[in-house]
Amino acid sequence: MLSERELQLNGTAQDLLRRLLLVWLEFERHLGRIPIIRRLEQGSFTLNDYNGLLLTLRPQVVEGSRWITRAASSFDADHCELRSTVIRHATDEHRDYKMLESDFVAIGGDIDEIRGAARNIGTDALCGYLMNQASQPNPVDLLGAMFIIEGLGNKMATRWAGRIRELLRLQDNATTFLSYHGENDSTHFEKLYNILDSDAVSEVTAPRILRTARVVARLYALQLEELGNV
Amino acid sequence: MEIKDAYITNLGSFLPGAAVNNEDIESVLGMVADKPSRLRSRILKNNGIKTRHYALGGNQQTTHQNSELASMALRDCLSGSAIDVRDVDMLAVATTQGDLPLPGMASMVQAEMEIPLCEILTTHGVCSAGMMALKSVVGQVRLGEKKHALVCASELASRLLKRSRYEAVAGDSVDLEAEFLRWMLSDGAGAALVESRPRERGLSLRVDWIEIYSYAADFDLCMSCGTADQKDWNRGTGLRDDAPFGGFDAASVNGLQRESRGAVALLQPAQYQQRSWQDYRTYADAERAGALLIRQNLRILENIVKVGVDGFLRLIGDNRIRPDEIDHFLCHYSSHYFRGRILDLFKLAGCMIPEDRWFTNLYEKGNTGCASIFIMLDELFRSDRLKPGQVVFCAVPESGRFTTAYMKLTVVEGSSR
Repeated sequence: MLSERELQLNGTAQDLLRRLLLVWLEFERHLGRIPIIRRLEQGSFTLNDYNGLLLTLRPQVVEGSRWITRAASSFDADHCELRSTVIRHATDEHRDYKMLESDFVAIGGDIDEIRGAARNIGTDALCGYLMNQASQPNPVDLLGAMFIIEGLGNKMATRWAGRIRELLRLQDNATTFLSYHGENDSTHFEKLYNILDSDAVSEVTAPRILRTARVVARLYALQLEELGNV
Repeated sequence: MEIKDAYITNLGSFLPGAAVNNEDIESVLGMVADKPSRLRSRILKNNGIKTRHYALGGNQQTTHQNSELASMALRDCLSGSAIDVRDVDMLAVATTQGDLPLPGMASMVQAEMEIPLCEILTTHGVCSAGMMALKSVVGQVRLGEKKHALVCASELASRLLKRSRYEAVAGDSVDLEAEFLRWMLSDGAGAALVESRPRERGLSLRVDWIEIYSYAADFDLCMSCGTADQKDWNRGTGLRDDAPFGGFDAASVNGLQRESRGAVALLQPAQYQQRSWQDYRTYADAERAGALLIRQNLRILENIVKVGVDGFLRLIGDNRIRPDEIDHFLCHYSSHYFRGRILDLFKLAGCMIPEDRWFTNLYEKGNTGCASIFIMLDELFRSDRLKPGQVVFCAVPESGRFTTAYMKLTVVEGSSR
């Protein structure tokens, strides 16, 4: 998944990476306690659950491309490398919601229903926080948000997609969003490691990156806990 | 109150019978229904174990009681020490399953060893039970309440693995989950003497700290014995029919959950009454139902590496250990397969311990559950590898319901040269 290069991370980046991984591992266990994910693990996940998951993810993904582009515009000329990366990332993902729509239709859902899906109260909190952070000057701390969100794609999406198809007997065309992220987020993750090793990470920014990762992990879990609570 | 230091001043171990190689396992444990296992070679290839020991004679007759294995390891430990049984003021014994459901195994071992009046402790669990016993003893020595405490961890897994156990199950219910551990576990015991002063001559191991983390609330049952279906113990299904729950009875909670999830009923009363082997009408019924087989859920097992690394990162974050200060790393991984996974995650997290500092005897001595870490430490202690000032770091992940134990030791020289 990763090259050998992370072994040569500078001390600050190395320490940050360990702390981020710890936040990630705690987040992963938290996910396992959330009813819908627990049902997926235990095998009692239903089509109704998947339906609800897709309806929850679409508004989050639509908002996601907005806060990423907002973040890009908040970086000044001193952070142009980072800005380029963020712009490329936004281009990669800003039409992802179309995959969610096609998955929803593949399981027999109505396209208008998912297009009209409202944010649940957890999604509101998550997107509101991210938009606020993205609006600050040089929002380097959003690396922490990317660590959690890209981590979900990199570490969980393929597994979830397979489990959903297995339990609900669905074809590949019903899990295109999760499968796409499972396959592509390792590239995004690799980029994230490159940034961690750059000047963007310092003793000043590292604690902010870690804090944003912790908040995003909590709010992402909240979004899944509040499924259907729009 | 003054906190003292506690030292492991000697170790011992005992492995019953001759070493059994991979080709001979099935003739020792017995061929279930006279048919060779189709899973054996694949599981052995993954775990990498070459030889192990069983307290089993011909026709799967047990050759030693568990309390006897424990006593042999304790005698081995005492024989190289400066004390005898009359000096022992505490005995802590860990095992997954004693010879008798009651009394505690420490009572039986104390009697077997003829140790006069002393305090005892029995810890019961899976692989981490030995570290729990050791931590308790170390704490008492550090508080000054005890001076010469013995700890022992002993396992007699072969009683669960012999052919008749599987043949007694009705129908065709011996699946991968029930067979997996048959090719993983074996018998043995290890012991340590913990004292308030280092030994006069030679090396001792100062116990700097022991930390134990349990993640039981985060995961479903992964390794167990005593239930026909581990899923009956899943988180979120532990409601009893008659137990009031937040003002509702379980039946209406169940109804509400069914309604809200559109899922099948969580409780099925007939099954629910037989969750534990002790719930069956007779013990024979429990055995026929497969409730006495030792089981491992392989899908959940993959979390073991994550919780193991989680604990290590916590300790690094709290400045209790630095990867670069570790001279000898003893990790009780159950299978060579996991060694690779641990290395990958260590690399990813940037907390790599160079492989030439890893020490194990899993491949020759087998996976003896809670005894393994003591058997490993004993071999390292008797080797010429330890030098004063070196740091020994031990990690014992347990998959039962996910517990991890860690220990930092510092090698110290004798009090008189």
